[in-house]
Amino acid sequence: MTLSDYFEGEKLLKKYGISSIKSRYVNSAEEAIANADGKPIVMKIISDKALHKSKSGLVALDLKTDKEIRSAFNSLTAKAAKLKPYKVIVQEMSKSGIEVIIGGKTDPQFGKVILLGLGGIYVEAFKDFAIRVCPISSSDAGSMIDSLKSENVITYGSENRKMLEKLLVSVSEMLVNTELKELDLNPVILRKADYDVVDIRILK
Amino acid sequence: MKADLQNMLNPKSVAIIGASRNPDKVGHIILQNYINSGYSGRLFAVNKDAESILGVKAYRHVGEIKQKLDLAVIAIPAQFVPQALEECGKAGVKSTIVVTAGFEEIGEKALQEQIVRISEKYKMPMLGPNCLGVMDTRARTDTLFLPTYKLSKPGVGYVSFISQSGAVGSTILDLIAGEGFGLSKFISYGNAAYIDESDILEYLMNDDDTKVIIMYIEGIKDGKKFIEVAKKVTKKKPVVVLKGGRSAIGQQATLSHTASLAGDYQVYEGMFQQFGFTIANDLNELLYYAKVLVSEPEPKGNRIGIITNGGGAGVITTDAVGAVKALKLAGLSKKSQEILRKTMPPLVNIRIPLDLAGDAGGDRYETAVSTLRDDDNVDMIIVIALFQTPGADSSVVAKLVHFKADMNKPMIVISIGAEYTQIHNHMMEESGLPVYDSPVAAVNSLAELFKYYQYKHRK
Repeated sequence: MTLSDYFEGEKLLKKYGISSIKSRYVNSAEEAIANADGKPIVMKIISDKALHKSKSGLVALDLKTDKEIRSAFNSLTAKAAKLKPYKVIVQEMSKSGIEVIIGGKTDPQFGKVILLGLGGIYVEAFKDFAIRVCPISSSDAGSMIDSLKSENVITYGSENRKMLEKLLVSVSEMLVNTELKELDLNPVILRKADYDVVDIRILK
Repeated sequence: MKADLQNMLNPKSVAIIGASRNPDKVGHIILQNYINSGYSGRLFAVNKDAESILGVKAYRHVGEIKQKLDLAVIAIPAQFVPQALEECGKAGVKSTIVVTAGFEEIGEKALQEQIVRISEKYKMPMLGPNCLGVMDTRARTDTLFLPTYKLSKPGVGYVSFISQSGAVGSTILDLIAGEGFGLSKFISYGNAAYIDESDILEYLMNDDDTKVIIMYIEGIKDGKKFIEVAKKVTKKKPVVVLKGGRSAIGQQATLSHTASLAGDYQVYEGMFQQFGFTIANDLNELLYYAKVLVSEPEPKGNRIGIITNGGGAGVITTDAVGAVKALKLAGLSKKSQEILRKTMPPLVNIRIPLDLAGDAGGDRYETAVSTLRDDDNVDMIIVIALFQTPGADSSVVAKLVHFKADMNKPMIVISIGAEYTQIHNHMMEESGLPVYDSPVAAVNSLAELFKYYQYKHRK
């Protein structure tokens, strides 16, 4: 299995109308500073050897000053030395919301399946997720949301619920039409009226 | 359809290949069971050495029978099965059940492929190999090679049971025999070499004598085919499934969160939820859910009314309702409150759970049940009858059974205890009133009933 390039994933999502947060690779702290343009940013290490980026300390959040960016760049690249080859990616800092994971994989028996779960760092701890076989309808998407224990945590009313249903149906469509083994959109940050896909991981 | 199981389940004529005079042999037991169960079609034994077995005329080869044969049950060592199938094919036998083990399950893949090829060549549906075969309580067909004294046989009913495993199959059959709801058909399909679980599910979907299907599986032969059948079957009748093999032994290391969460069992579970299966987590849950699904009507909503003659049991049951997302506790209508206030002794608190007190007999139950039956705020009724109390006796059973006849909403009973209780439970179960020995099981069963109809009507 090989990890697809981050921006290849971003392009694929875009094709299905799924918006991800603005990102780019940087080669130096100075490049990151220039790119930040005074707004707070996130810096991450991308490597196929690193599955748990936050847990392994490979993510630096909410970097506001040049000094913060510089020191984050130095410490992240130092930690990443043993994860070569790696890349440094910078993103806009997403506005706060609820973190969910939306994923997919090719199951040997049933083909493409889609997963929705309480996301971020809680994924493995709470194991609160639902799986369906693709393609899914919006009522399948609704029943995925309903079957979560954290149903009330991740949705705020019917507007937001519809948005999530639509997103799930789009991801399912993308899964059906794309050759891939595994997909993680984790986290996807859900807010009342919009969302950001903050991390994309596609394994082919 | 590939698998018309009619010839296996309701054959007009059967040959037992490998019938033996030796009572220890599988072929002997199968023949004996056909005779014992009162099978009324024509029965033939095939045995190279015997003239007759158990009074049934024996032939050296199936081809010598020279009569139309709907079914051949094959119970001879694996290496002789291809030859026997060839003979069946040439003799025009319509279907076969191969109970013999020793095929793919022990690595003999080529031998299994060989018998599939022969079955295909003659377009002769084959069940098995490595299976217990079938039981049909109406047709009085029984190919199970288990001596009658070891296994109680279920009565006639509307629940059909599919099992991949023979041993789990016979255990559950024995348990079903102890329940009041009975059995329609049992199909143990073993290695699924020719007829697989999807074929069987599709057959039972169209079977009028099957109202509920229960299944024990460990794997599915063809996932895509299964899903196509699954989409249709659960819109027609409930299917309760227990899937063995949950642990992730041998699962590959994964590089994504999704794949690490979505192991084989989790994918199965998601698929079952998606297509409206009722998921059982243990053998007894298969029976709990089958019982309520086969006997109770569709509920109009999810509000539970509870009647009890013991405060504690009422509280435990109320707690169980609170723990289930799908259900709610009902409130009593004004009218019901008035009726109950007038008819119940002053010590009875007029609310749900309605505690009739320990001296309640049949009459008090009658008033309570009829009031909840007529109350539009109550969608389903749980009646707790503890027979250890001073007031409860057979009069309670008589009243409850009487209600069952024309009850328009689901009603189940919780009754827990030893001999005296069991006598009463037996009477209720035989009258089609589902009885549970655990408040949690009873409440979960109603939740599954509600969820099934919710799915059935989902667009």
